[in-house]
Order: sequence, then structure tokens, then C-alpha cells
Amino acid sequence: MTATNKGLQRFYEYRDRIAGLIKTMQESPEPNPLLIRFFTLINEQDKRVIDCLENHKPLIMSHYGNAGEIFAAMDIECYGPEDNLFVHQQFTKDMEESDNSPFPQDMCALTKLVAWGCLTNIIPTPTMIVAMLQPCDALSAVQEAVQNMEGWKDIPTFAPDPTYGRDKSDYVYFAGELKRMIAFLEHHTGRKMDYGKLRDVVEETNRQYEAWAEYNELRRAVPCPHNSFIGGKLGWIMTQHMKAGQAEVTEIMKMLAFDAEQKVKAKQGPLPKEKIRVMWADMIPTWADPIAAWLEQERGANVVMDFQSATPYERIDTSTEESMLLGLARRTMSEIPMIRAARGKVDYMIEDLTRLVKDYKCDCVIFPGHTGHKDQSASIGFMKEACRELNVPLLSLAADNFDPRTAPLDVMKRQIGEFFDAHELGK
Amino acid sequence: MAIINSEAFREFENDAKTLSNPALEDFRKKGGKVIGLMYHFIPEEIITAGGMLPYRMRATGSKGTEMSDSCFTQINCSLVRHFYDSGLKGRMAFLDGVVSVNNCDHIRRLYDNWKWKIKTPYMHFLCFPKKTGKEQVKWYREQLEGFRKSLEETFKVRITDEKLHDAIKLHNETRRLQRELYELRKGDVPPITGAETLSTMVAATCMPRDRYNTLLKQLIQDCKASKGRNGYKARIVLFGGEIDDPKFVDTIESQGVLVVGDVLGYGSRAIAANVDETGDPLEALSRYQLVDRPADVRIFGTSFDRNEYVVKTVKEFKGDGVISVRLPQCDLYGIEQTTLSFHLKKNRIPHLGLETEYVLESTGQIKTRVQAFLESISEARHDRNE
Repeated sequence: MTATNKGLQRFYEYRDRIAGLIKTMQESPEPNPLLIRFFTLINEQDKRVIDCLENHKPLIMSHYGNAGEIFAAMDIECYGPEDNLFVHQQFTKDMEESDNSPFPQDMCALTKLVAWGCLTNIIPTPTMIVAMLQPCDALSAVQEAVQNMEGWKDIPTFAPDPTYGRDKSDYVYFAGELKRMIAFLEHHTGRKMDYGKLRDVVEETNRQYEAWAEYNELRRAVPCPHNSFIGGKLGWIMTQHMKAGQAEVTEIMKMLAFDAEQKVKAKQGPLPKEKIRVMWADMIPTWADPIAAWLEQERGANVVMDFQSATPYERIDTSTEESMLLGLARRTMSEIPMIRAARGKVDYMIEDLTRLVKDYKCDCVIFPGHTGHKDQSASIGFMKEACRELNVPLLSLAADNFDPRTAPLDVMKRQIGEFFDAHELGK
Repeated sequence: MAIINSEAFREFENDAKTLSNPALEDFRKKGGKVIGLMYHFIPEEIITAGGMLPYRMRATGSKGTEMSDSCFTQINCSLVRHFYDSGLKGRMAFLDGVVSVNNCDHIRRLYDNWKWKIKTPYMHFLCFPKKTGKEQVKWYREQLEGFRKSLEETFKVRITDEKLHDAIKLHNETRRLQRELYELRKGDVPPITGAETLSTMVAATCMPRDRYNTLLKQLIQDCKASKGRNGYKARIVLFGGEIDDPKFVDTIESQGVLVVGDVLGYGSRAIAANVDETGDPLEALSRYQLVDRPADVRIFGTSFDRNEYVVKTVKEFKGDGVISVRLPQCDLYGIEQTTLSFHLKKNRIPHLGLETEYVLESTGQIKTRVQAFLESISEARHDRNE
């Protein structure tokens, strides 16, 4: 079938580019089996979305924290509007072109890009939207904007409503929202929820999170067994931005943990000498690789933990339908990265920060000050206080996690370098 | 720019210019408790029913944010920074309590910061849903029940259903009177400016409600006796969030336009509907906040209706154009302003989108942009007439 819309055309480009990348990796003298499997998962996901678009099959546009286990159990494909825009960021001019967007320029690049992508149809139109009303204002607002756009406004939409607390009543309420989401999906697809299949999916995601947690434990070792951000990058994409419950994801997380375990046993790290252990108090930015390389090579610093990697997932009880939905409600509202740090009162984030700095023996905290995380920026006083009590220095930057132009790399290197020097870190 | 000659209005105007006021002080001297509301969505009626005074928090008269800057960064809006600064400086020390909801990302952290450092004796937080529906009404009703109990226990008062019904009637009377005032603005010679109207609306949120209603009745009589104002160049409908500074509206009107209608948090969105006076009062209050009143941008899935409401307001108030306003760094109103601009364009209604900080410091740019907007309104009129 010929591509009839820009969004589908884009997915062809994504599919072909990733396929080319996999081929290149396979042909390299030392192919990395873990990365090949990772990119193959991305490629397979793109192909499934293309199949839905070409053959008018049910397709959901949704976001990372919307209990993807349910979509998978109902065998409905799903994509995140921002996913491929960022995976392929360095190959497109999307970010620059979104500067022409009519939306405010002081918003975070992700939301601007999603709004721009829907407005210009480089994001394909799905058959249903499951909106996400957490963790930040901008994400809700951009989905509201999409509701008003030509070509998008008549797409059936459901938005699970998150509460603010972490009590049982919060999870019971949200489990009700998930039930209503299931009813919405059943109504618009004609498919019935198969709770037996949901059990299988959730048990697999339980195993994935267990493997991820095991990997995170290994990063506590001194020296840290792997480079900055590694687990969070892979784990986040595979558990939140891909079809839920794939055994291949569990395998990859186990491979990662196994490799880390060997290095911990051998007391090996990626740096010749690990001088500074950094806690990155936010999600992993799209420009993490160059900053991590500089930190490691120039300053002997390893970002041993970050808010994208660290989340104490609890096993979901799969014994009954109710226990699964309740568990998914808890996972969705209180465990998924970014939501965990942003939804609810500030204490949650500060408790995590305190625990992580201690557990991972961090020498300092870097807070990137992401443009979109207004709540975190309004928590800066609490972060300073927590770091004072922990006796670790805190550096607060002013960056955008998704747009490297907001705080140029050179500026950040200088600021981080001066911070390390001022506190005599790594000396 | 004032056009109304009214003793009642002068009191409202003074009340809107300051944080405290004589009526509030008098209430406090008699042992009355004042409960600050960080935003709307919090039913004032419950506080009134407890014999206390609901006070919509503002930072009117704030001169800077130097004390709050260590707790917020440059990506936080100026409203929360001024609120917090005012709190730290003790400008709102007359508050016996503060109540908030999980509103925007800035305000929910303002609450956390307030609780941490300002330590108002009573603090309460309500979880407000982000969409509307019967499940959400039920959820928020439970939150309100908790709020009622919390007030009762802390302040040793009884908030019975009967008292709630009385408070609902009292506040509905305010809304009815305010709607009556708004009706007068629909005529060709409105008796009150937009700035004066905003002063009047703000005053409602900082003084005992029965006194306010008495004064408002007097103001309406004064308005009816007034000759009103003509000779203005255009009729404007103002759209935005929690604008509480009449000077901002006055700056717009200083360019020869008249703000005849609005879709503001302190304005028509607060008075368009009444709370149901029958049945379970807490459910009625929950339903009012979530379903009955025109929704705030914070509630998902409501922008289309809100945009239509703006168009309806333009028609009813015979507006020539819409000026929308947003605080920099506000994502909710940033997106809303853009969406509204699309909708108004489709409806061929001239629109000017402004950004302004919470405390009005420089008026030059606003004036220039309003002047340019006036020209575009004239051109639109010319095109329509051709």
C-alpha cells in the first residue's frame, strides 16, 4: 500500500532507518548482541504500527504511564506520539521546525514537538487516544490541544484520571478508571478483555521489573559496573515505550544484569578510576551521551543513578482481576519514572533523592532543571535542604531534557566543571 | 478611567488594592477566622458555613520575589513567586488557615513550600480530579467531606447540612447579583468599566459575604442611575486565568477600549452557574466545581466548550474582539491561548494574545499592542462592511 499520509510515511522511514542500523551492527567486527536485540524490538514495533495504519486495525496513541499491560492483553497496538520523534531526532529537522509552532516557546521541547507533530501530521492519526493526565501540566495541555485539531478532534479519547495521593483509596479510584478504560477499549474495538492474558502480561512485566531492580542493585557497587545512564535508557524505553509483556525485554534486562554482576565480582568499572559518583535528579536527557562521555573521560565521573532508572517496583499480585488492576493502578501512579517524581506531594521525590544518594554513595547531585518540570523547579528549596542534610553538594542547571539547544553542551560542561572544582570533587 | 460614582464601589476598589481591609479586620477583631484559598475549585461555602471567612489568596502590592527566589527557579511563574514572597514577608499573616488543591505544577508546589516555611496554623489539601464525570463528583464529594471534618475538628465548629444550605444560598445570592451587574455591561453604554468590574469581583473574595452582598446591591443601583460610558473605540472580552489586578485591565482600557465582558477565574467563570440548593449540599458543591460551572483549563476535555463559551460571551456582550492573557511559564494557559486563537480565527473574531507577569511592571508594551489590536479591529469592521 502506498503511504497516504505523512505519519505513515514517517513510520516507513523509521522502520528502514532502524533496519539499516541493525544491519550495520550485525556486520560490525564486534556486534553487540544486547543492542541488536534492543533495536530489533524497536523495529518490530514500528512494523506492527505500520500494519495497523495500512490495514486500518485498532491503534492507540498513548503515553508511557498508562498501564500498557492492558493494551497488550487486549492485543491492541499502541505508540507514543513522541517516541520516534526523539529516537530519530538527530536525523530530522523536527526540533528546529517546531520552533515555528504557534505554541509557546517556554514550554518543554517534548510537548512542543508533540503538538507540532500532530498539527503537521508527521505523527500518524490513531483510531483511539488514551490520554495521560500526569505527571505535568504540559502533557495534559498538549493533549487538550490535540483534541481541537483538524483530523484529530473526532478520534475517540479516554483519559484516566490520576489522584494525588498514595493511599489505598487512591489506587481503588484509579483501578476504577482503568476498568472504565477497558470498557472504552472494548467498545471501540469490539474486543473483550482477556484477564487470563492480562495475567500473563503482568507476570512478564513483573519479571522485567525484577530484572531491572536487580540491575539497579548492582549499580550500587564501587566502582559502578556500567557507564552512566545505561540501565535507565534501556529499561525505560523497553518497559514504557514498547508493547508490554514481551519476554525478549526480560531477557535483555537479565543480560544487562548478568554482565553487571560479572563486572561487580571482578571489581571492574567502565572508568579507569571512578572519582565522582553522581546522582542525576531527573529523567535522562536526549543529550545524555555526550555529557556522560565528557563526565567520564574528563572528570572520572559516573552518573550512577537517576530518576529514570530508579524506581522501587513492587510485584503486582496476579491472583485476581481486582488485584491486577489495583497493582496496575499503584504501578501507574506511584512507580513509573517521572510520574513517581512529579505526581503528588514533594515529600515523595525528596524521600527518593535522599535514599538514592545514600544507597548509591553519591558524591553530589546534579539537577538539570528541565524546562517542563515546573514542579521540580519549585522543589529546589527542598532539594537544597535534603542535600545539606546529606552533606552532598547540589548543582542546579537550566536545561531542556529534550532540546540540546536550550543549554549548550559547552555551557553545561563549564558549569559542571566549576561545580566539581568548587567542591573539590574528584580530587 | 473610572466612570462609576459609588460609595460601595470605592470600598470594593480599596479592598482590591490591598490584602487586608477594614471589613476583614473587623471580622477578625470579633474572633472570626480567615481561611486562605490558594486557587478556585475550593468551595468557599464550606468555610462560610463554619462561620469563617473564605479569602482568595493574592499577592496584591507585592514589590519583589527576592525572598522566594531560593525556593523557585526562573521557570516557575511569577504568581507563585509573588504569593510565596508575600507569605514569607508576613503579608498574609492574618490567615488562620490555607487550603489548596492539586492545581497546576506551580501551585501544588507552592502549597508544599508554604507548608514548609510559612507555617500557617491550619493547612489542608484537597485532591481535585482532572476531568469531569459522576465518578469524579463522587470522589471530590469525599474530599469535601474530609475537609468539612477537618475544619470542624480544628476550629471546634459544627458544619451541618443546614448551615451548608444557608451558605450556598448566600453565595448564590452573590453570584446572582454579580450576574445582574454583568448584565448591565451588555448595553451600548455600560455603566462600569472592566477594571471596576474586576475590583468588584475581587472584593467578594476578601470580605464577609453578607456585607459584600449589601454593598453590591447598592453598587447595582448606582450603576443603574449612572449615565454610563460611550465614545469608546471597541468592546473587548477579556480571557484568562486568575487575573486579580484591576490595573492590568485599566491599562488595556486606557487605550480607548472598554472591557465589557470576560471569561476569567474571578469573572464570569465564577458566576455563570449557581450551586444546586436542594439535596446533599456536599454533592451539590462537588458537582458545581466539576460539572456545573464553566470549566477551568485544568480540567481535561473542556477546551472546546470553553472556547465556545468565549464566542458566546463575545456575542452576548457585543464584543469586537478578544484579548487573552497568560503568565509566562504557564503551560496550561499557553496551550489554551493557542487553541483559543484557532477557534476565534475560525469564528472571525479578532484576537490579541498577551503575556504579562503577575505584578504589572511595564505597561508600555501592553499599550502598544492594544493600539495595534484596535487597528486590526477597525480593519475587520471595514472588511465586514464592504
